[in-house]
Amino acid sequence: MHMTMKTQKKLSYALLVLPALVVYLAVVAFPTIFSVILSLTNYNGGLIFGNPDIEVVGFTSYRWMFTEPTRSFYTSLRNNLLIVGVSVFGQIPLGFILAYILNQKLIKRGRGFFQSMIFLPYVISPIIIGVLFNAMIINPRSLYWEVARFFNPDIQFTLHSNPMLPVLFVILWMFTGFYMIIFLAHMQRIDPAILEAARIDGANEPRVLRHIVLPAMTSEIVTCAILAISGSLKTFDLIYAMTNGGPAGQTRVLSLFMYLSAFSGAPNYPLANAISTVMVIISIILIVVVRWAAKLFDRHGGYGK
Amino acid sequence: MKNVIKYGSTIIMYLIMVLFTVMTIYPIVWLFIQSFKTNQDYMTGSKLSLPTNWFTLNYDIVWNNLNFNTFFYNSVYYSIITVIVVVILANMAGYAFAKIDFPITKVLFGLFIVGILLTIQSILIPLFVMIFSAGLFNTRLGILIPYIALGLPMAIYLCTDFIRNGVPDELIEAARIDGAGYIKTFVSIVFPMCIPVSVTIAIISFIGTWNEFILMNILTAGDRFKSIPAAVGRFSGSLGSDYGRLFTSLSISIIPILLFYIIFRKQITKGVAAGAVKG
Amino acid sequence: MKKLLSVLLAAVMVATLLAGCDSDSNGGTSGGTTGGSTGGSDDPVAITEVVELRVLNYYDMSAAGALEEQSVIWEAFEAANPNIKIIREDEFEESFHDSVNAYAAAGALPDVMYAWPSGRSTTLHSQGLLKDLTPLINRDGLASKYIALATDPSQQIAGYQGIIPQGVTATNMFIANLEVLNAVGLTPATTYSEMVAQVPVLRDAGYDTVIMPNMASWVMQSCLYSLIVGRFMGDGWHERVLNGETNFTDPAFIASLAFVQQMYEDGVIPASSLAIDYGEGPGLFATNTGAYYIDGDWRVGAFLTDSTTGEALISPDRQDNFVIGVFPEIDLPGVAIPGRTNSAVLGTGWGINANLADGSPELEAAWTLVKWLVGLEVQTFRLRTGGISTPSIVGIDYGALPLEPLQVSLAGLGAKYDVATVVVDGAFASTVYEPLNEQLQALGLGITTPEAVAEIIQAAFEAWQATQ
Repeated sequence: MHMTMKTQKKLSYALLVLPALVVYLAVVAFPTIFSVILSLTNYNGGLIFGNPDIEVVGFTSYRWMFTEPTRSFYTSLRNNLLIVGVSVFGQIPLGFILAYILNQKLIKRGRGFFQSMIFLPYVISPIIIGVLFNAMIINPRSLYWEVARFFNPDIQFTLHSNPMLPVLFVILWMFTGFYMIIFLAHMQRIDPAILEAARIDGANEPRVLRHIVLPAMTSEIVTCAILAISGSLKTFDLIYAMTNGGPAGQTRVLSLFMYLSAFSGAPNYPLANAISTVMVIISIILIVVVRWAAKLFDRHGGYGK
Repeated sequence: MKNVIKYGSTIIMYLIMVLFTVMTIYPIVWLFIQSFKTNQDYMTGSKLSLPTNWFTLNYDIVWNNLNFNTFFYNSVYYSIITVIVVVILANMAGYAFAKIDFPITKVLFGLFIVGILLTIQSILIPLFVMIFSAGLFNTRLGILIPYIALGLPMAIYLCTDFIRNGVPDELIEAARIDGAGYIKTFVSIVFPMCIPVSVTIAIISFIGTWNEFILMNILTAGDRFKSIPAAVGRFSGSLGSDYGRLFTSLSISIIPILLFYIIFRKQITKGVAAGAVKG
Repeated sequence: MKKLLSVLLAAVMVATLLAGCDSDSNGGTSGGTTGGSTGGSDDPVAITEVVELRVLNYYDMSAAGALEEQSVIWEAFEAANPNIKIIREDEFEESFHDSVNAYAAAGALPDVMYAWPSGRSTTLHSQGLLKDLTPLINRDGLASKYIALATDPSQQIAGYQGIIPQGVTATNMFIANLEVLNAVGLTPATTYSEMVAQVPVLRDAGYDTVIMPNMASWVMQSCLYSLIVGRFMGDGWHERVLNGETNFTDPAFIASLAFVQQMYEDGVIPASSLAIDYGEGPGLFATNTGAYYIDGDWRVGAFLTDSTTGEALISPDRQDNFVIGVFPEIDLPGVAIPGRTNSAVLGTGWGINANLADGSPELEAAWTLVKWLVGLEVQTFRLRTGGISTPSIVGIDYGALPLEPLQVSLAGLGAKYDVATVVVDGAFASTVYEPLNEQLQALGLGITTPEAVAEIIQAAFEAWQATQ
């Protein structure tokens, strides 16, 4: 009763925001900072507080990561970028094309069926998909090679020279349906009368696509690119189950590199924490770049809300 | 002539869709077929062929040797609680961020947005150390708290966006003039209006939690608190695999989510589409 | 060298046993190692009330005979020991190691646990978390029942008897497929040069020369390279590295790496083997796609009749066409020991929590269980199902076992080499052997050179030394 409006507003705000904020800070923000601090020490398991053996060693782990002779960091980073590439230039265009086909009047029956089926891989655990595709693609007697040999009996088994190819293929397989669904939902919002009018005016399909559909979808394409880039950096389970980074670490990504440093064999927590920190920095840079790009598109395209 | 072109392109369109559908479905069908092979049949026979005899004993053996009841119970438990808590917390915070004007909102909202791009793996070690020293290692709570926290950023982003654009200020003002406090407004007006976005959030966090593997694996020991993905590697180790049973355990593992998807596929595809791009 | 001699002894002993000597005639020879025991004279404690034991088991469901374990091992023990109640936790692979680490950090290790003599279980040994079993072994006069290696404390990483191993492992098993070789008019190669000469003949007929499932990085190091480096560097090479007499940039070490590269270049081992999953190797070999197969001796179980399906990858009537031996003589310059060596290491086994008090009923119960788990019945069971190939206990009556021809052939493996050198991952820390595992694959992919690899391993070794 006697509370002022302002106090009431403050209290309500706190009551509404605090639960989420506390959980989030404790589980995500605090460990992130903690990880940065640990990366500067020699902490390698055991007690954290009151452990007399822990020393601050500065950037030793970072130096090691950037200069160690097997260059695992660079291989992992390259693979992450390959995945970003296949996401932005593979999944998104393919998803767009499939959505465009489904949105045509030509497909009258089974639209819902096709949509559901192509989206299906998205709901299956990446761990299961990894094990499954390991058996389907990688081995010389796998399904893929049996089919390939059926068409060309002389085909040589060469997958080992491009170890990332199967991984990229599976990533394409998993997420194309996801982008298709998003594009489709937004294509359906374009006023059919506008499309119809253009067609009656004699515009052919490519022109309709270029001058009406694409411009209307710019902001969705940007959003999808953001999702694709962030998703690509998070890739872990699939590769962990499918190749575990092999052979010779050629299919490692940063998250797997970090995991293997920390949790397989003799743990190297300082190195793992250093990799984490670099991943956080890359994420932040990406956020900034992406927001900047989104603003740029918004200004030029004017398709914000 | 025009009809021929139209007819031809219809066929081509259908062919493309059928091709993609087959490409997505075939691996899953293949998986179920392999689960009926003996290990020896799988290793020596063609990967394209059907089992020489349908070996159903794999299902018996896998079911009796893995704690699927426990795994399934835990998967449901983690998924449902995570979904409920995430939906409620995200709606609350989303309402405050969207409709209660405070300068600090910008900072806090930004903080959550950063979380969308952060990877779980990058905080794995400190999280493990924290959960362990808090005595939450190998407990349900020790898994639920991270699951909830990791579901929040995307959920809050979607909720804030939805409430900002989808809940008219006038409605809230009207309620406030009638003497309802912020909390009451939230419960009686905002929350019910947010059901569409809540469905989207529920689907996204359900699928994410259901399939989560790495945290669950690191934060628990033993089968008691593990969920379905833990069953996956049990018949395949560094010293060999029993392929028939490996595929059987994979098949059993994906049946629940497949059923869930078949029943709710319309809501799921709609919900994901609505959620992934701002409403 | 004592270590090598004892490995040899173990191998010969098994071979002799197989030749027909029944039961315990060899007991006395190995008893000497434990002479002069300290006061292990306490009598066994009677277990009067029901004792609960927490047991951490490593349960590999994909292993041969795994599904019989519940009844043959665990239920049988509880039936015979009504006073001991077992609370068992089955774990596998990484989740096993994660659990051990977590329990160790929390001071909550189980009473009885499965462990390695070194490698991934190093912490358990070096931090003294395992009970020293020597006094109990002496009290019960067990030394004579095991091969010398099994009760020799110096064989385990911390120099005390942390576990009793359930076998000895030869990490190279080289199988020649006579069905394939006969089809192209060849006989098994006895030297590396002979094998190289066979490559084009086999290739023209559509066969690979060697099948080796190399996708997992440890396979090359464990199943072949450990043998190769032993032959190039000579007996006891790891000790000379550890005490600084030589190092990883030594020409002999570089030559051993160059030989790995050469095997890929000669086509003896196809580069495509780097994309063969470890589980798929036996299937490829059993269907006659290649002339030779390289793996560890534990893998013979994969070819035998599977009791749950009644099928075998290589049916018993075909098994005589498969000859088990060691990798052929490396007839190249720079080899210290040309032929007849293998790489060997103690197998896994069972240990007891160091916290169990001497003379307590808990310790007595735990010890009863360990004796059972590495005892005659269980080892016989594991031998029969192909779970182990060289048991650590003596006195198994081979004649009474329904062994398949390949198992008999495997039991003769010990007689096919004179020297056993170390396995790299049993002799060095993981920070040294993990980069090596990976670099051996990089050699196969042709993306590095032996010299560069030697530099990397030496750097890793020096980094490890600095932490000691």
